[in-house]
Amino acid sequence: MSNVRSILASIWIGWYRDFSWTNPLLGLSLRTIPPIASVMAASIVYWWGSFHAGVFDPNRLAYIMIGALLYAHIAAYSMIPNLAIAEGKWTFVFTQVYMSPKSASPYLAGRTLGSFLSSAVTLFLALIAVYLLLPPLFGTSIPLVVTPLSFALFGLALVVNILASMGIGFLLGAYAIFATKFEWALPTYISGLLMIFSEALFPVTFLPGPLSQIANVLPFTEFIRAARAAMIYNDVSSYFYFLGLSAIGGLILLFAGLLAFRRAENRARRLGLLDRKVA
Amino acid sequence: MKLQPSIWLRTAYARMWVRTKSIYGEPLWVVVTIGFPLFTSLAMALLYRSTGLNSAVGFAVLGGVMISFWGNVLWSMASQFQWDKQQGLFEIYISSPAPITAILVGMSLGGIIGTAPSAALVAFAGWVFFAPPINPFWPGVIVVFGLTLAALYALGMTLASLYLVYGREAEALNEAIHEPVSLLSGVYFPSIGGFSPFPFALQVVASLIPLTIGMDALRRTLFALPGLPPAGFDAIYLHVIALSVMAGSLLVLAQKALKALEERGRRTGTIAVRQR
Repeated sequence: MSNVRSILASIWIGWYRDFSWTNPLLGLSLRTIPPIASVMAASIVYWWGSFHAGVFDPNRLAYIMIGALLYAHIAAYSMIPNLAIAEGKWTFVFTQVYMSPKSASPYLAGRTLGSFLSSAVTLFLALIAVYLLLPPLFGTSIPLVVTPLSFALFGLALVVNILASMGIGFLLGAYAIFATKFEWALPTYISGLLMIFSEALFPVTFLPGPLSQIANVLPFTEFIRAARAAMIYNDVSSYFYFLGLSAIGGLILLFAGLLAFRRAENRARRLGLLDRKVA
Repeated sequence: MKLQPSIWLRTAYARMWVRTKSIYGEPLWVVVTIGFPLFTSLAMALLYRSTGLNSAVGFAVLGGVMISFWGNVLWSMASQFQWDKQQGLFEIYISSPAPITAILVGMSLGGIIGTAPSAALVAFAGWVFFAPPINPFWPGVIVVFGLTLAALYALGMTLASLYLVYGREAEALNEAIHEPVSLLSGVYFPSIGGFSPFPFALQVVASLIPLTIGMDALRRTLFALPGLPPAGFDAIYLHVIALSVMAGSLLVLAQKALKALEERGRRTGTIAVRQR
């Protein structure tokens, strides 16, 4: 029960950190702009290439739209444990957390969940915006399945993906405890790697052999496939198949992440490194 | 008579040296700055390749190179004074006889020198992985590249002046404008002219951003675009004029904005107040 209270308090801290500097509506709007721009850029690149190559396909446009939205969403909240530790060392928030008798895990889980909720709202707003903006730009409709069921399945996929995203977040957090330099760059690496290896923009078969096989089994890849099965192909059986794979991969990643973080935290407590800021 | 460089030049050199040293003194910094441009550029190049239009892969590589500089302008120029204020460094700047414009120019030159390795690595990786077909007109590339950087960093100086009045808002604003400016500027695809998907009104707005004009000119001088004459100064002279005007006017604007905000800050006593 006290873990739940810690998590809820941490969600609130995360929101306070993200939105207290301004009107929450303005803060949310500002956070919606980058994913819209990012999806539009990827869609235009596809349109430009396929139009001039004479192979434009609206289904592929929808494929890229969903993929680009989702990789940005995953990147937005999976990096939170890393950020909470790196920033928390400088603002002394993390010092307060580790001084408490508990592990920092509930705090980081709460921060991640808070960011997931904000990112899910901006994701839906961005989805609506690009769904309305892209057709007049390209003179074509986007074949998305817009039904209550497809949106419910899409929402469920977002929730299941929390396992994998939190898992990778804890892995990065384990690193951030000891890091004093490179941790600020990690989010851009995660976002960039997801762009290439999660089938966000193109099928993983475009990657060279071994990389393609690794990308093929990532829980993020399965999650994006499940979301597409719900929103584009209206294929419920494929949806549950991909979602199941995503959940299994996510659980493995979460277990590995929690284990790594617990070990890193214990080691850092023992060596007195938890609030080290400079190498 | 002993000739000595003016205080302006010495200040600019000192600030440039600090920035250059901070980057080259820590090789890991290249790893930090290269992530976003490299991966985005690779992803966009693969996306172009997946459409079968291999000739456009170079757009993605060029975009990666230029986005390195845009990122530097936004995060290490525009926000810099705001961070300096948080750390108490800005108080030292304004209480010393060093001209602030010299500090900004030094910071820009140091930023360009410091970002060059990341940009070069992105270009090298793009060349190794994709070998994009190019048809360069090198004199034009050099002139346009130089002018684009001058205009971009002048924009950074203007933003640095404006961000002085902000606290945490500056960070959120940077995060909010990074992607939209990349989109409008056509970092990865032509956003102005006959090949643009944008309506005319939006192209006019996009043309007010130096990066848009620079990207368009660089594409014209580096790649053979279908339906356009071979690259030469004829194809880019308007771009060169526009970039020169932008660079000059943004420099003047930066100076005036900085002076106005500095005076206002001194009058209201908020110039060195650290807001968070």
